[in-house]
Amino acid sequence: MVAIKIEFGPEVRKKTKKTENYMKLNQLILAAVAGAQFVFPALAADSEATNSTGAAQSETPAYNAGAAANNSPEAAEIEALKQQVQALDQKIQNLEQQREAEQQAVTNTNQEQIQELNQKVRILERQHELDKENAEDAAKTQPQLKLDSSGFTLSSADTNFAISLHGLIQLDSRTFFNDHNLNNDAFLLRRARPIITGTVFHDFDFNFTPDFGGSTVQIQDAYLNYRYRPELQLEAGKFKSPVGLEQLQNDPYTFFNERSLVTDLVPNRDVGAELHGDLFGGVASYAVGIFDGAPDYNSTTFNTDSDNDKAFAGRVFLQPLKTSDVNALKGLGLGVGGSFESDRNGTSGLTPGYTTDGQQKFFTYATNVVANGQHWRVSPQGYYYYGPLGILGEYVISDQDVKAGAALADLQNRAWEVSAGWVLTGEDATYAGVTPRHPFNPLAGGWGAWQVVGRYEELKVDESAFPTFASSTASASSAHAWSAGVNWYLNKNIRLNASFSHTVFHGYTGGTPAVPAQAENVFFTRIQLAF
Amino acid sequence: MKTLLTILLASSLSTTAGAKEIKLLNVSYDPTRELYQEYNAAFAKYWKAKTGDDVAISQSHGGSGKQAQSVINGLEADVVTLALAYDIDAIAQQAKLLPADWQKRLPDNSTPYTSTIVFLVRKGNPKHIRDWDDLVKPGISIVTPNPKTSGGARWAYLAAYAYALETYGHDDAKARDFVKQLYKNVPVLDSGARGSTITFVQHEIGDVLLAWENEAHLALKEFGADKFEIVTPPLSILAEPPVAVVDKNAKRHGTLTVAQAYLEHLYSDEGQEIAAKNFYRPRSQAIAAKYATNFSQLKLVTLDQEFGSWAKAQATHFADGGVFDQIYQP
Repeated sequence: MVAIKIEFGPEVRKKTKKTENYMKLNQLILAAVAGAQFVFPALAADSEATNSTGAAQSETPAYNAGAAANNSPEAAEIEALKQQVQALDQKIQNLEQQREAEQQAVTNTNQEQIQELNQKVRILERQHELDKENAEDAAKTQPQLKLDSSGFTLSSADTNFAISLHGLIQLDSRTFFNDHNLNNDAFLLRRARPIITGTVFHDFDFNFTPDFGGSTVQIQDAYLNYRYRPELQLEAGKFKSPVGLEQLQNDPYTFFNERSLVTDLVPNRDVGAELHGDLFGGVASYAVGIFDGAPDYNSTTFNTDSDNDKAFAGRVFLQPLKTSDVNALKGLGLGVGGSFESDRNGTSGLTPGYTTDGQQKFFTYATNVVANGQHWRVSPQGYYYYGPLGILGEYVISDQDVKAGAALADLQNRAWEVSAGWVLTGEDATYAGVTPRHPFNPLAGGWGAWQVVGRYEELKVDESAFPTFASSTASASSAHAWSAGVNWYLNKNIRLNASFSHTVFHGYTGGTPAVPAQAENVFFTRIQLAF
Repeated sequence: MKTLLTILLASSLSTTAGAKEIKLLNVSYDPTRELYQEYNAAFAKYWKAKTGDDVAISQSHGGSGKQAQSVINGLEADVVTLALAYDIDAIAQQAKLLPADWQKRLPDNSTPYTSTIVFLVRKGNPKHIRDWDDLVKPGISIVTPNPKTSGGARWAYLAAYAYALETYGHDDAKARDFVKQLYKNVPVLDSGARGSTITFVQHEIGDVLLAWENEAHLALKEFGADKFEIVTPPLSILAEPPVAVVDKNAKRHGTLTVAQAYLEHLYSDEGQEIAAKNFYRPRSQAIAAKYATNFSQLKLVTLDQEFGSWAKAQATHFADGGVFDQIYQP
C-alpha cells in the first residue's frame, strides 16, 4: 500500500481564493487516497494469491494471461493518480512561493513606508533645531525690555544702547511745636522727579532729572558721562559737586527727611566737568573737576555762571578693606573732599543762608556783604556699615573771604555731624539704603524692614562775622540739633519715615518771633516712592 | 665655562625680552576649521622662526554671508577668509574697512586655493545619482545650505544653474525651472555648509549632499568611507574663496604686518601643501601635481563665464526678491 501524506500550514487556512483552491485539492487528494486504499490492497491480494500458487500459474497459462489483462487498467489509474498528486504537489509549491513573494513585497513596501516616515521625522526634528537656532540668533538682536523694582529699561540686544526711566516722589509733612505760629505746618511735595538715564554707543551714559517738587520746576541733573575705563571717566554737565559725603548720598537713602547742618556748608549741584573713577576694584575712588562755582547751600536753579571765576573741587574716598576677608571692616569708608574757588565782588558767591532741619533760615549775611576772594572747603568724612549698623560722619570747614564796604574778613564756618541707624529686622544697612528681606505683605507674613535712626549735628559761624558781616539780631551764630526717627522700608521702592528734630540756637540777640529765638521742634513724616 | 654660560643666558634673555605676543582674528567661512587649525599652527611656527614673535590666531567660523555681516557690525577681524569675493566686497563697501580694490593685492585674485561643488551620497549610491539632472528626479532628497547665508550654498546654486545653462543652450527660463525643481527636493536649509554636513551625515537626512569638495572628503574621513561616497559630476563650478586683510582693524590692532604675512604664507609651498592635504585645490602647479589623486577631474566653469560677475549674480539671484526668493518656497 502506498501512503501519501500531505501537510498544510496554518497560513493555508486563510480565507482567500488560494485557500479555496487548497480545499479543492484536499478533496481530490483524499478521494485519490481513499481509492488507492481500496485498489492497492486488492492488487496486493491478487498478487499474493498468484505467487503462492505458482504451479497453478504455470499450469494455467490461460488463467495468468487473463489476470495480467485485468491489472492493466488499475495500474494505469494508479499511475494517473500519481501524476495528479505530483501535479498538485507542484501547484502547492508554486502557490507557496507566490505567497512568500507577495509577503516579501508587502514587507518591502512597509519598510519603505517606515523609512519614508523616519526621514520625515528626522527632517522635522532638524527643522525644529534650525528654527530654534534661528530664534536664538534673532533673540540676540531683539531689544530687551525690563520692568522691575529698579524701574523701566529698554535696551538693544547688545546693550550698547539703553534708556531707563526711574522716579522719586517724596510726600512730606512737617509739624512744628512751640513755634509761636512762626512756621507753617505743612504737607509738601518735597521731591517729584522723573529720572531719565541711559547709554549710547556702550560707553556714553546720560542723566536728565527735572524736579517738579517744591515751588519751582528746575533741572537737578543733566550730564553726560564717558566711561573710557572704570578707572577713568569724564563727566560733564550739571551734577553734584564732589565734596560732601551726605550731599553725595542719593536722596532716597538718607537717614532722615532732611540732610544735616553739615550740608549747609558744601556745594549742592554745580555745572562743570570732572574726571572720576574707581580704582583697585572699588577700594579707592576719586573725582576732580572744574565748575562754575557754588556757594554754601546753593540753590539748584542756576544753570550758568555769573562771573569769570571757576571753582575746583575734588574728593578721594577709600574703602581699604572692601575686598579683604575681614567682614567686620569691609564696610569702612574714609575720605576727604574739598573745593577751591575765587569770587570777586559778587553776592553770588555767598550762601543764601544756613537752614535748619525744618528748612528754616537761622543765619544770613548782611545785605552789604559780598564774596571777595578765595573760598575753600575741606571735608574729612567717613562711614561704617556692618550688618544692620550704619554710621555716617562728616566735618566741614568753609573758609571764605568777604567784604562789607571797606571791611574785609576771612570767615571760617564749621559744621559736623554723626548719624547712625540700626535695622531692627536684621537686613544690612548700606550707603545705598536698605533692601527688605521680606517685603511688606501681611498675608504672607512679610513686614518689610524697620530701622531706627539718630543724629547729632552742629554748625558754628565764625564769630568774626558779627557784627560787621552778620547781625546777631537777625542771625544765630551757631546751632546744634539732635534727631531721632524710624524708617519703614515696605519694599525696595516704598519707604515711610517718621522723625523728630530738636534744634537749639546760640548767639541770637534779637527778639521773637524769629527762627533763632526759640528751639525748633519739628515732627517729620514722609511717604516715598523710588524706582 | 662661566663666561660661556653667561653669554648664552644673556642672549636668550635678550631674545625673549624682545619677543612680542601678537593676536590675530581670522573670520572665515564654515568648512575651513580643519584647514586653518593646521595652517595656523604652521604659520605660528614659521613666524616665530622668522621674527621671534609669538602669534596666536583665533578663528571664527560660520556661513560666509553671516560672517561678513558680523565684521560689518563690528567683529574685529584682522583678516577675512570667506567663501566668495562678494562677501568681502560688502565689508569694503558698507564698513569701509578695506579698500575696494582689495582683490588685486594678492595673486590669483586673492584666492590661494580653489574648490568646487560635488555630491556626497550614501554608500552604494542607492539612488544612482551621477549628475545634476538626477537631482531633480522625483523622490530625491537634497541637502544644501541656504544661499542667503552660506557661501557654499551660493556656489552650489550657481553650479546647478551653470549646468542647466550649459545643458539647455543658455536658456535662462529653462535653467530657472531646473533649479526650481532642484530646490523642491530640498527639505531643510541650514545656515552654513557645516550645518548641512551635520544634517546629512549625523541626522541621516537626504539622499545627497551638495558639498564643498573638501567638506565631502572630510565627511568620508571622519564618518567613514564605508557609509558615504563622493560622486563628482562631469561639470561643476570653479569656486574661488578669497582672503583679505581688514586694513582698518589690523592697523588699529597693530597687526598689519603679521596679517599680511599670514595671508601671503598661504601661497607658499607649506601653505599650498596644507591646503591640498585638506582637499582644497592648490594654486601651485607643483603641489597640485603632487596631490593629484586627491581631486577628481571634471569640467569647471567659472562664475565670470556664466554669470558675468559676483555683483550681477548676487543682484540677480540672491538679493531680496531675486531668483532664489522667487523659486524657493519653504
